[in-house]
Amino acid sequence: MKDYVIETKQLSKKYKGRYAVANLNLKIARGDIYGFLGPNGAGKTTTIRMLLGLIKPSAGSVHLFGKSLDKHRLELLRKVGSLVEYPSYYGHLTAVDNLEAIRRIIDVPKSRIAETLEIVGLTRDARRSVKGYSLGMKQRLGIASALLGNPELLILDEPTNGLDPAGILEIRELIKEMPKQHGITVLISSHLLSEVEQMAGTVGIIRQGELVFQDTIHNLRKQAEGSMSLVVSDPAAAVQKLLSHGQRAILANTAIELENVNDETIAGCVKLLVEHHHSIYRVEEKRKSLEELFLHITEGGGLA
Amino acid sequence: MIGRAMRADWLKIRRKGLWLLAIIAPVGLIAMQALNYGLRYDYLMEQYAHDPWGELLKNILLFVPISLFLGATLISSLLANIEHHMSSWKQLLALPISRTAVLTAKFLISLILLSFSCLLLSIGTLALGAALKLPLDSIPYGDILRIGFVPLLASLPMLALSLWLCMTYKNQTLPVTFGVVIAIMSMFTMTLSEYLPINWPLFSYYGPQQELFAGAGIACGILILLLGAIHFARKDVG
Repeated sequence: MKDYVIETKQLSKKYKGRYAVANLNLKIARGDIYGFLGPNGAGKTTTIRMLLGLIKPSAGSVHLFGKSLDKHRLELLRKVGSLVEYPSYYGHLTAVDNLEAIRRIIDVPKSRIAETLEIVGLTRDARRSVKGYSLGMKQRLGIASALLGNPELLILDEPTNGLDPAGILEIRELIKEMPKQHGITVLISSHLLSEVEQMAGTVGIIRQGELVFQDTIHNLRKQAEGSMSLVVSDPAAAVQKLLSHGQRAILANTAIELENVNDETIAGCVKLLVEHHHSIYRVEEKRKSLEELFLHITEGGGLA
Repeated sequence: MIGRAMRADWLKIRRKGLWLLAIIAPVGLIAMQALNYGLRYDYLMEQYAHDPWGELLKNILLFVPISLFLGATLISSLLANIEHHMSSWKQLLALPISRTAVLTAKFLISLILLSFSCLLLSIGTLALGAALKLPLDSIPYGDILRIGFVPLLASLPMLALSLWLCMTYKNQTLPVTFGVVIAIMSMFTMTLSEYLPINWPLFSYYGPQQELFAGAGIACGILILLLGAIHFARKDVG
């Protein structure tokens, strides 16, 4: 069996008769960066709150590091760093004191405060009270809080919210390094595929509380790999010809679409049509962008 | 674990006015009596000639229950608000610490702050008595020490309840209103049943079977804290 850091079984949460999350089976492997995607209100934050034991599931279970969260909550949370939705902070305290308030509870060496501030680039502003921070700085402080306890699992809920492009890039680089340098497993939620596709190894897509896709980003890309489109002089007859030779083809408007074909097949199709006196005007590759695919999935289309 | 939560809380209450509140309340009570005695010193000294210290303590005692109720309400609200304000609950409770420890730590912090107020009240009473030239050879040290602390024990149910409400509701209007109403009511319920918990602070210092009221306060306070802890441990953190 594979070594899953997070595994949920039929995890569900019901609010007033309506399922916010239903029968979720997440599987997140050690050392992976897992992109947890879905539009706003799909149940991402609800799921993350259940993963952290902040809210109790209506049904199903959460296992972290192979142990039940319900039974070993404190022991497991010790290995987890989290940032849930918008950052939490004590505005009247400085960044150092904010981290110190957490440090006193999780009991790590004092030097971790300076280290984490250094990692998120807040060292210069460490002595200012946090209420004067920009949203981006507060978000970084949130990430510093999550890192403070040397976690083995980092759960970040929309960590790049409110950051400018440079900040987003910085945080992305930071997160990418986590598994490599420290062996940390990362769960990062977002409503933007573009934000996680460059760092995630696996993605889970949630729609209306249900997991509609969970696979490697590589396989998601494959799904997005496009079709070939042929524009020919007599499309109807050409499609018949291709079908009669056992090649799947669809007539779309005036073009012929061939899905999932490799170079040889395309060459064969072209040769066949030319031999039967069809004029071929164009051979085009149509590539669905990942973003299109994501929209398609989250709008209820499922996988193409 | 409770100790760790408390050490974090000490840091968080900095510059939040909690210490200020704990200092102002007893100072205010003493100042009020200073004014009372100052305005009609000769008359009162004559009236109270039979037991000058005892009468001073009685005058102060009249306002101790209401001050304790108000203090308990405001301190719990300020304490809870530190976490409510920027939704820090989700961060705090996702840390490896039991929710019972979090709640108990806040209860103990409130208790320490209120004890500090009571200590100041005792010191203030002694100082005021001395300033009013009450006889120094008959200082009732025991009563002076009891004036704040015993009613505090008897008002633990209120502290536990107030803290529970303040931690549960993000909107502090309800718990604060509740606390203020209880505090004001306590001025007018003394003639009612001694079973009424809001009368306990007064009866724990004054009248027969004082220890019983203080004891009931401790027991009832712990019971409410326990119920609060059970609820707090199960509740969803939004």
